[in-house]
Amino acid sequence: MNFFRRRDRELNEELQAHLSLAVRDRIARGESRADAEAAAHREFGNVGLVKEVTREMWGFASLDRLLQDLRFGLRMLAKSPAFTIAAVLTLGLGIGANAAIFSVVYGVLLRPLAYRDAGRIALVFMNFSPQNSPRGNLSLADYFDWKAQNRCFDAIGLYANGVQEITGDATPEQVISAHVTANLFSLLGGVPRIGRTFVEGEDQGSSARLAVIGEALWRRHFGGDPNILGKTVMLSGDPTTIVGVMPATFHFPRQQTELWINYRLAPPKRRGPFFFTGIAHLKPGVSFEQAQSDTNFIARNIEHANPNTYARLTMPVLPLRDAMVGNVRPALWMMFGAVAFVLLIAMLNVANLTLARSTVRRREMAVRVGLGATRLRLVRQLLTESVVIGIFGAFAGLAFAWIAVGALQRWNPTNLLPRVGDIRLDWRVVIFTFAVAILTSALFGLIPALRASASDPNLALKEGGRSGGFSTSGLRTHSALAVFEIALSLVLLAGAGLLVRSLIELQRVQSGVGAEPRHVLSMYVTATNAKYRDVAKGVAFYQNILDSVRALPGVEAAGMADLRPPNWWEEDDSFNIDGQPWSQGAFPSTPVGHVMPGYFETLQIPLLRGRYLTDADRRDGHGVVLISESLARRYFPNDNPLGHIMHQSQPELHTPPMEIVGVVGDVKYQGLDSKNSPMAYYTPVAQSFVEAQFLYVRSTRAAASLAPEIERAIHAIDRDAVVNQEQTLEVSISNSASEPRFRTTLLGSFALAALLLAAIGVYGVIAYSVAQRTQEFGIRMALGAQPSDVLRLVVGKGAALGAAGVVIGLVASLLLTRTLERFLFQVKTTDPLTLVTVAAVLGLVAILAGYLPARRAVRVNPTIALRYE
Amino acid sequence: MGNRYQNRIELLQGTLDLLILQTLQWGPQHGYGISQAIRLGSGEVLQVETGSLYPALHRLEREGWIRSEWKLSDNNQRVKEYRLTAAGKKQLLDERTRWEQLSDAIAGILASPRRSEP
Repeated sequence: MNFFRRRDRELNEELQAHLSLAVRDRIARGESRADAEAAAHREFGNVGLVKEVTREMWGFASLDRLLQDLRFGLRMLAKSPAFTIAAVLTLGLGIGANAAIFSVVYGVLLRPLAYRDAGRIALVFMNFSPQNSPRGNLSLADYFDWKAQNRCFDAIGLYANGVQEITGDATPEQVISAHVTANLFSLLGGVPRIGRTFVEGEDQGSSARLAVIGEALWRRHFGGDPNILGKTVMLSGDPTTIVGVMPATFHFPRQQTELWINYRLAPPKRRGPFFFTGIAHLKPGVSFEQAQSDTNFIARNIEHANPNTYARLTMPVLPLRDAMVGNVRPALWMMFGAVAFVLLIAMLNVANLTLARSTVRRREMAVRVGLGATRLRLVRQLLTESVVIGIFGAFAGLAFAWIAVGALQRWNPTNLLPRVGDIRLDWRVVIFTFAVAILTSALFGLIPALRASASDPNLALKEGGRSGGFSTSGLRTHSALAVFEIALSLVLLAGAGLLVRSLIELQRVQSGVGAEPRHVLSMYVTATNAKYRDVAKGVAFYQNILDSVRALPGVEAAGMADLRPPNWWEEDDSFNIDGQPWSQGAFPSTPVGHVMPGYFETLQIPLLRGRYLTDADRRDGHGVVLISESLARRYFPNDNPLGHIMHQSQPELHTPPMEIVGVVGDVKYQGLDSKNSPMAYYTPVAQSFVEAQFLYVRSTRAAASLAPEIERAIHAIDRDAVVNQEQTLEVSISNSASEPRFRTTLLGSFALAALLLAAIGVYGVIAYSVAQRTQEFGIRMALGAQPSDVLRLVVGKGAALGAAGVVIGLVASLLLTRTLERFLFQVKTTDPLTLVTVAAVLGLVAILAGYLPARRAVRVNPTIALRYE
Repeated sequence: MGNRYQNRIELLQGTLDLLILQTLQWGPQHGYGISQAIRLGSGEVLQVETGSLYPALHRLEREGWIRSEWKLSDNNQRVKEYRLTAAGKKQLLDERTRWEQLSDAIAGILASPRRSEP
């Protein structure tokens, strides 16, 4: 900066020296000082201009010029604060939305995973008919087969997510845990903070029960005890020795996992249960494709060896990143596309503002041209002003993104976004933001700059007046930009409209629960294992809870089950019915409920035939089962199902017989949007014990307020019982739609922002044209035009812009909403209702945006308007 | 975009450079001195506009053909003097050769006998 100042000062001094030398010469030749000075100046010419053209020689990219332009630009912007604030806020909104979504996209989809050689780690699943789940789990037998035949991976392991209760000295706590094979940590390159991880061979049936804990758990539950290693704690009732602490930066398989327990794998007796996810590291030089085809070959071998269990078996090999974030990838890219649209609209708006302003500045431009500024110089000046706006917009955008990302992380409903901790506003986001800002501002600045500098200075100077005269081609550019804005926002609105429609459809789906969801409270009660391994004690524990909860004031009914509508079931299994030929395809895996008496009554699930379960259905008694309506319809179409005998799993496992004693209404357990049939069957807990149950309480008052009393009642029975996930069914149902709601809210807010910007854009164009045509309106009215004629003229202009934008937008929507197909539930991408509504809304907005300036036009006093120039 | 200075520069493009370099061959000189030298040397025919002179000086300096330094003139006025560099001397030779070729060529055309009317 100093260098440039000095250079400028020296140029000045050089020219002044020239002048004084010339004056001295003239005086020496006998001229008077006054005459000499005047003549020297005349001969020298315009000092400012000589400086200007000399500076040109200092190089095109001279930083000095840039600083000069910057200073001037800042002055010009400060002189019209309304324009500056409007432009900066508009751009800030567009840029900020992009920066926020970029940081999410980068953090979730692009940031490298924090595992060693993460790009060559795969998760391995099993997919077979009739489950047809591409992310299905393996059984232990499959794992051993796979491991024995593997050629493509140099390490193979297993894991499964779970929860464990830590009991003992401190307050009982439930933590997210994972069971893992001994090689999991070395496979991921996870190094403990203190102690060790599991070593080779510590996952055998004979191994000791060991645990590695996370740093947060270590500090929270164990007070950061430095002597933790070797200590034995009670995990879900089993004594377990802690061998290591992982640093807080290690997250696997879930973000919140903080307890890892070694598997103690014994050779399996049967194929199932399907609890395990495979994890493996590719051998050097092997690609995912090769690994996939080799693993599928192994899958075919497994299928041939077990034809009764599997049909069309494949073992999908997914790169770790795809497995972790694959399900949110399409939604995130869609959001990125949507915010790009918002930015484009914001940019068009600012271009329009700049264009309108540059028309007002035509005289200024003309004067500068008259003084010798070149066209390049003017374009550069105007572009500098735009870039200044862009940079301010980037700062505003970063602030906006900072708020938005914070809100998003806090909101992140039901942990929808994976890797949310990896979302940060780091230098990449800052670079992205400024790059977008500068690119955008150069683009929106270029159109007005070229237009302004192309105008004929003579004309501008002669015309005089503030507005600088009427320019049809200027108005054409304005209109084109506004039409484009409307079209873009229509596309966004159409997308948002489709998502809203499908959300409404989703919420119309009946969960099958008759009770008012607001009045039903559910909580997850875990009987800490060891104490209740004796099933009779476990059932008595549940029964005691039910008895004391039913005695609480305000409680109408209470029951228990291990499934929760609309999207939670713990177990699904095939089944077989005596007298009906079995095959895997005919008896698909179906949710199995293990319920305590009172569940159906509490949720008011209707009894269609037979009876509900009662306290009389005991372990030593006769096996019973309830089936859902659709299961009854499918297997007993012309028959009374009551009295038929059913078994869990496939026939060769010879599970105990269960008599069908009742048929109940269908309930959704696999999600409201599930395409699966809502089949389910229910067995009494007394006959098939499970170690955790949802307690359901229906009350006459707001159910949520009952929670503390109920918890006290449970802890009075067993102080080690872990109670969590308290929520009303209303919340469960609402949470089950949180993913589509999340998408819809985001896209909807982008679309609203777009609509607002487009409305401002149309308003701006009409207001501008009204200002330009004030005189014309005056003449029309003086010649007898009625205010309504002028009103129609102006509003018609807005409507015409709207119509053009709507038509273009509709065509674009039909092309683009196709990408939304996967997000839609029972709504077509070409849903006419949505498209018509959206088109009507935009048309209305365009008319309204024209109406406001039109009213001003009508109030024009003809005599004043005619004197206007 | 009527910029009369720019038009002059175009008119004298190359020629002005040659004149400046030639003037500086006799020793260091400031801008005013160069313009006076050209005016007097041409018998008052060539009047160099400041709007052409100073851009040309700054351009030649950027090309490395001349170098500038601040000096005190005989009446204690701080002036910026330009002097030829080695590269400038070579450039002067080149431009002189080119100019002579050009003026010979033009002279040749002007001196050739008129074609007779058919």
